[in-house]
Amino acid sequence: MATHKMRMAPTRPYEIVYIIDSALEDAAIAEKLEKHHGLLELAEPAEIEHWGRRQLAYKIGRHEAGYYAIAQVQAAPGTLPEFERALKLDDTIVRYMVSLVEHVLGAPLLSEEELAARAAADDDDDEDDE
Amino acid sequence: MRRPKKPCPITEAGIRFVDYKDDRLLARFITDYGKILPSRLSGVDARHQRQLSRAVKKARFLALLPYVKGQQG
Repeated sequence: MATHKMRMAPTRPYEIVYIIDSALEDAAIAEKLEKHHGLLELAEPAEIEHWGRRQLAYKIGRHEAGYYAIAQVQAAPGTLPEFERALKLDDTIVRYMVSLVEHVLGAPLLSEEELAARAAADDDDDEDDE
Repeated sequence: MRRPKKPCPITEAGIRFVDYKDDRLLARFITDYGKILPSRLSGVDARHQRQLSRAVKKARFLALLPYVKGQQG
């Protein structure tokens, strides 16, 4: 019955931001992410964007810098508690945030029609640009 | 006398939903102390101000933005 439930579980898009101890080697970081993502039972591998090492805006414990990685996954909500528990127990993960992707963030790439419409509209109000 | 309304800078930038990871954009809407700038000063429209407020809070948690700026430690 459990397997039946698992197979049927609908997935939702999540974005996971990790701040990892910057002292870790890149290879170790990639391996660690892979291991944690295993808990999510993903059908497709996670899309990971590596920002790399970056200064933190404030100190978190003894850390002044962290390695940022952002993963996009399609996961079943039921797998999250176990996954988050593992992240909390992992000392090398300074901080993480899982958020549901409800909207496309930022400025999406416009289709050609939209670009044309925008160019036409911009012709009139270009003058009051700062 | 009413001041003419400023255009919303976020709408003008073509942003549909404010991204909490875009710290360079968010930094334009916080004060020197790191507080969220009121929309009456920035001209951001209400919908984007709500998104902005949440985005700034998420960015603070992720240490992309400071909770308080200009303070040691």
